[in-house]
Amino acid sequence: MTVPKDRARVQLPPTTTIGRRAALGLAAGLAAPFLLPGRAEAQAALPDVTNVPDILKGRGEVRVATFGGTMQETQRLAYFEPFERLCGIQVRDVSGSDSGKVRAMVETKNVEWDLCQLSRGTVLNLQKRGDYFEPVDYDIVDGGVESQYRFEYGLEMLVWAQVMAYRTDAFKGAVPVGWKDFWDTRKFGGERALGGHTSGQTPELEFALLAAGVPADKIYPINVDTAFASYDKIKSEVVKWWDTGALPVQMLTDREVTMTSVWNGRMAALQAAGVPAAISWSQGLLKRDCWAVPKGARNAANAMKFIAFSTMAVPQARVSLQIPYGFVNSKSVEYVPAERLAILPSAPEIKSQLVPYDYGWWVDNRDAVLARFNRWLLT
Amino acid sequence: MSDASLSDAGAASPPLAATRPARLRLGPLAPWLLALPPVAFMLAFYALPVLGMLSRAVLDPGWTLVHFQALGDDPVFQRVLWNTLYLAVLVTLGTLLLGYPVALLLVRARRMAPLILLLILLPFWTSVLVRSYAWMVLLGRHGLVNEAMLALGLLDRPLRILNTPLATQIAMIHILLPYMILPIANTLRQIDHSLLRAAAGLGASPWSTFRQVVLPLSLPGVAAGTLLVFVLSLGFYITPALVGGPRDTTLSMLISQQVDQLNWAYAACLSAVLLATALVIIGVFAKICGLGGGAFRMSAR
Repeated sequence: MTVPKDRARVQLPPTTTIGRRAALGLAAGLAAPFLLPGRAEAQAALPDVTNVPDILKGRGEVRVATFGGTMQETQRLAYFEPFERLCGIQVRDVSGSDSGKVRAMVETKNVEWDLCQLSRGTVLNLQKRGDYFEPVDYDIVDGGVESQYRFEYGLEMLVWAQVMAYRTDAFKGAVPVGWKDFWDTRKFGGERALGGHTSGQTPELEFALLAAGVPADKIYPINVDTAFASYDKIKSEVVKWWDTGALPVQMLTDREVTMTSVWNGRMAALQAAGVPAAISWSQGLLKRDCWAVPKGARNAANAMKFIAFSTMAVPQARVSLQIPYGFVNSKSVEYVPAERLAILPSAPEIKSQLVPYDYGWWVDNRDAVLARFNRWLLT
Repeated sequence: MSDASLSDAGAASPPLAATRPARLRLGPLAPWLLALPPVAFMLAFYALPVLGMLSRAVLDPGWTLVHFQALGDDPVFQRVLWNTLYLAVLVTLGTLLLGYPVALLLVRARRMAPLILLLILLPFWTSVLVRSYAWMVLLGRHGLVNEAMLALGLLDRPLRILNTPLATQIAMIHILLPYMILPIANTLRQIDHSLLRAAAGLGASPWSTFRQVVLPLSLPGVAAGTLLVFVLSLGFYITPALVGGPRDTTLSMLISQQVDQLNWAYAACLSAVLLATALVIIGVFAKICGLGGGAFRMSAR
């Protein structure tokens, strides 16, 4: 009886199971066909990694857990293949990276992953409860990796944005800008979806504050009371507090909602499919994914080499060329054409409109906020 | 019991193999020996891990019942438990009402029976996820159901069905229907036809034959189906998450949230509640219907 216990979170209808919070997976099922004409052609279009420092070379293998989906394919093209070729270390990639699994693996001393894709918040949250990760070996990391992406137990390698998206055919040509407009259901009619509080996400209190008129630079530390008071005003219009990145784009496509928050990478696929929908970058949240090495990983040294390799300029550019997510190495700019740079969340004119997500504040306050969100939603 | 299976069981256990010539006298033991491997498997790979998981509820940090006490005045938990039980009851009733006639039809139909069975089983073999997505397509504001009713002039503007409790109920009833139909059909099939002829011969109308003969004799199947559907619907996760309303959190969704937030003691408490609920329901059914004698012995008759 295999039916209902299935816990899979993100899955697109006819295709594969995408791991949890497949931020990227998203672009996955949808984007791939449009963005990548074919594997061979895509590979040809990507800049080649020509040489690597000797210190990154080695042998054996590294077991990498990702969020799965097509993002895993993207990572294979961008990182895994050149890393295997140039560094001599085999990559065994699996999907389903998850903080609970890391906790269980480390506690039972049965660590099956050498490296996993997580968020800084997840890593810090787990590290707060004990010693679950190896410190990153920054001696071998490329100098082009900006300091804002570095922290003791992980290195961020993917920059993305949680932004507002809307049906362009819903408001007779009016263009919503910022969360005040999102909250204004008279001016911009129709139902809404917003991010929920499951699958490693935090509720978008930042958007609630921006809608209440709090200036972007005064959001943190978040005044939780103000945020929930603001949420009260939109609650009845929100038909879904989504927990998987596939849902908001699906709901936009099906005209279930006129506006929602989304992960920016998913919108590229939607637009490529001809759905009349657009992103409003204004007041989006700038977020990142990171690599982290579980404590006691058998191939920790290889994992460190992989972290260093994947954050070099060219491998980083190879991701941004496939999916509109930003890079963390300032030298990657040289490998990405200007018209592509302009649509990445890391583009200066886009980044200046975004609010950097404060992982530190959320690590301290997540548990309390999530409990309150549950109470607010259910009782 | 074939010779092959007997000797297999004997071979698995050396002392018995030694007394092989007397294997007929071991006859009563044979079922137990055959059951040994699956029981050992379930103990090692199910019972022990479940116990380990549940022990987190009372051993975090030391021996304590504080986590369970906290549930008592946790409004979120109460609301979620209510959601889950209410949904399970509704879905069970829905599958019973829809499933019983189908089971009757399946048993009465002769030539069409394979086709009906196929229609029941095809969706049964399809992933829950795919079926949940299919209901999203059907029930959406611009989905097939709404568009059809608009086209027929039954509605002026689309109904909101998707993202409401109703959508969860519809989708779950559809998904769980086979679990109700098959046990009922099984008992119906085993009803002796001469009983029906006898009833008719004694002047009973078709309706009273059904009410006084068929229905009572099919109750073990109804009980089995009800139990299966109820217990399965207690654990539903994907369907309510995908098609349900914003407030339709079920217990398994809450458990998943808490695991995700690393509140494993709380999650273990919730799991204990879910497991206990299922066990109580099974116990009640065992008391009323007699598990050994009724619901689950139907196919042995």
